[in-house]
Formats: sequence, structure tokens, C-alpha cells
Amino acid sequence: MLPKRFDQARPFFTLGIVLLAWLFVSLVVKTFTRATFFEIQAPLVVADSYVQDLQTFWSNRLHSKDELLIAGRQVAGLIADYDFGVQQNKNLEAEILRLENMLNLPPMPAFRFEPARVARRDFSAWWQRMVIRKGENYGITVGSPVVFAGGVVGRVTEVYHYTSVVDLITSPTFRLAASVAGENRPVSYQGGLNDSFKSPRGTVEFVPLDVFATRSLPRRLVTSGLGGVFPPGLSIGDITTLEPSADGLFKNGEVSLDERLGTLTEVTVLVPLNPEEM
Amino acid sequence: MRRVDLRWLIVLLANLLLWWMVGTANHYLSHFSFLWLDHASIHLSIGGLFVVFSALRLDSKHGWITVLLTGLMMDSLQPVPFGTNMLLLGVVLATLLYGRRRLPREGAIFGIVVALLANLFLVIALSFILVGTHPRPGEAWMRIFVDLLASQFLILTITPWFLALQERTMAIAHIHPETGRRVML
Repeated sequence: MLPKRFDQARPFFTLGIVLLAWLFVSLVVKTFTRATFFEIQAPLVVADSYVQDLQTFWSNRLHSKDELLIAGRQVAGLIADYDFGVQQNKNLEAEILRLENMLNLPPMPAFRFEPARVARRDFSAWWQRMVIRKGENYGITVGSPVVFAGGVVGRVTEVYHYTSVVDLITSPTFRLAASVAGENRPVSYQGGLNDSFKSPRGTVEFVPLDVFATRSLPRRLVTSGLGGVFPPGLSIGDITTLEPSADGLFKNGEVSLDERLGTLTEVTVLVPLNPEEM
Repeated sequence: MRRVDLRWLIVLLANLLLWWMVGTANHYLSHFSFLWLDHASIHLSIGGLFVVFSALRLDSKHGWITVLLTGLMMDSLQPVPFGTNMLLLGVVLATLLYGRRRLPREGAIFGIVVALLANLFLVIALSFILVGTHPRPGEAWMRIFVDLLASQFLILTITPWFLALQERTMAIAHIHPETGRRVML
């Protein structure tokens, strides 16, 4: 029979064994276990998103014919606008190609646009991420940029069979090489200032001393294209404050981010056509 | 013939149900307007509640199985080193099992107190582990504090219901939580 003192301490002995066993479990086993546990819960994670879609479908069915006719007219106007935009886009693409050939520049990374529904948002002080309803089944790869009408949403960090996890630009774990619009000098962007009752903000570092920004005169921050993941020129947010850093060599500041990032229901994943070029 | 003991599975499924409900709540609380506030965002963490039934009502073996699997379930959905929640929940379980003989295990009031203290420990421990990645750690604490207040309030409200759910499920399955013996309603 075990001594009484050992019997009392048995829970901590068990915990020690679990800890030791966990330390010796190989990374492959841990990765497989993590993916398995995620996939087991994935149907639950996306279930309420499908229920929401169904609810929207039935509420749309209740609209009268007059309302549908008005909506149809508005959509027709939008389609005409977009047709014009597509034509302009084609001309610009042809111009870019002509300049690339003329200047012997390497081609810009090419992407396939994959729209995806947002299934789950998970915004805490420690991380800000969302689960989308497309994964390996649509060829989504880890590291793919995710965008929406207002600019950058984030980056795909985990890909599962039917779902993917996106790390948002508001997340403290998100870092990106950016540049101030109209400049080509790179600066460093990091998310993470997410107060409970304020709009999300990010931080910017290594801004050249001759760049100025205030709340009344903000400067737009865009992706620089450096690092190869994000194409250049995508909007990140507005730099609202800039102050000299402690060493006085650069400026640090805050970036005001798009409010809509917290309510997104649909995003677009930019799937690289040639992942080895990224 | 030896009967299959499903106590760990019953408690694990109850934990999974609550985990899903809180995840859905966090989805809708990620951005909302409240009174004069145009932007509000709250994240609920209720990890402490998952240990209570396992520590106070189940036997040690099934308690460990349930808590370790629940921890892995949480780890798979969170960007933390895999095993973090499992080990933190394990620390709470080991502490509760150590003093279990001296604790009033029946009743919801003590369950609430245990859930609140366990959750406080888990949030603080997780904050210390993760706050290093934050660009301005000093500013993160205010958000963590607000989230913690909301989470503790939720735990205070739902612990009696959650414990009753697990007790009732065990009763429907005709299983005594601690001994695993077949009992009649």
C-alpha cells in the first residue's frame, strides 16, 4: 500500500507524468492531433454560419415583387459600373505588361481570387482571427493573402480540409512590410491595439523622419509588395499619429483600421498561381 | 460482461456543447454597438468551468481523461502552443483533486466559486504566456480586464445550469458520476 503522503500528492504526480509524456511526444504526432481535434469541431464551427445563410435566404424570400424590381434596377446600374471598371482594368493590365517588357521587370505575382464566407470570428486581446468556409478543397494555401473591398483582411495561417483560419491585420501576431502611399520606403506594420470600446488600431515602426501624419491629416498605409506575400498597393489603414522613436532615427505611430473588419461576412482569398514564386 | 464506461464521454460532450455556444457568442460579440458606444468588442473565456464537474464529481481517472481531452479541444481552435490549455487545466485539476477530500463537493455555490477561481487563474496564466507578442503589453491589460469581467459574470450565471446539465445527463444514462455504477432514477 502506498504511503498516505504519496497518495495525497498523486494528482501532482499524474500531472508530472502527463507533462513529461507531452514533452517527449514528437511534433508530427502533435500536429496530427491538433488537425484531428480541429476537424472534429469544424462541422460545429461552420454550422451556425450555414443556419445564418438559410435564415437570410428565407427572409429574402419574403420580399415583395416591387422590392425585387427596385433591387434588380440597382444591381443593373452596379453591373454597368463594374463593366466599365473591368474594361479599365484590362487596359491597365496591358499597360503594366508593356512596361514590364520594356523595362525587363520580373512579372508581378499572379493570383486566383477565391471568395469565401466567414464562418466564425474570434477576437480577443491575444489574437484576432476568423475561420472561413473554404480550405484544401478549394486549393487554399497557408500564407495566402485575404482581402475585402476596404483592403487587407489578413493572411491564411492554417488550412484544413473544408475550412481555413485567417490571422487578421488587427491581431498582435500579424506583421507586414508596408509603405506610406506615394512613397517607396518600407515601414513595418503590426496589429494589436484592440481596446474593448474603441475602433481597432495597429502600430507602425521605422517610418522615415520626413513623413508627417496627424488625426486631421492622416496618411494612407498600403502594402509595399516586399516579402512577396501581398501584392503592392492594398490599403491597410490610415496613419493618424507619428512620434519620434526612442533612438530618434525613425518615427513610430498608430494606424487606424477599417471598422468593417469586425463585421465581415465575405472575404476574398488571393491564392497564388505559382506558390514557389512567393 | 464488462460494461463500457462512458462517463468521460458524457462530460466531454457537455464541454464541447458549451465550448461551441461560447464560440458562437464570441462571434457575435466580436463587434457590436451598445447604448452610446459605436464600437464594442468582448471575448468570453470560460475554461475554468470545464474543470469543475471533472474535479468535484467524477473519479480521478475519468476526470483526467475529460480535462486533458477538453484542453486539447481548446488548443486546436486557439493560436497557442499545442498543449497549453491541456497543461493549464491539468494544473487546476491536480490542485482540486489534492484538496478534494476537504472540499464540499455537492451544491452549486462551491462549484461557482471553483469555476471563478479556476477561470481567473487560466486567464492570468494565458495572458502572461501570450502578452509578449503584443506590441504594447501595457495597453492589452485593460482589454483583458474587461473580457475577464464579462467572462466571470457569465460563469456566475451559467455554472448552476452547466453542472445540472452534466448531473442530469449522468442520471439519464443511469450512471453514478463518481463510482460509475448503474443507478436507477
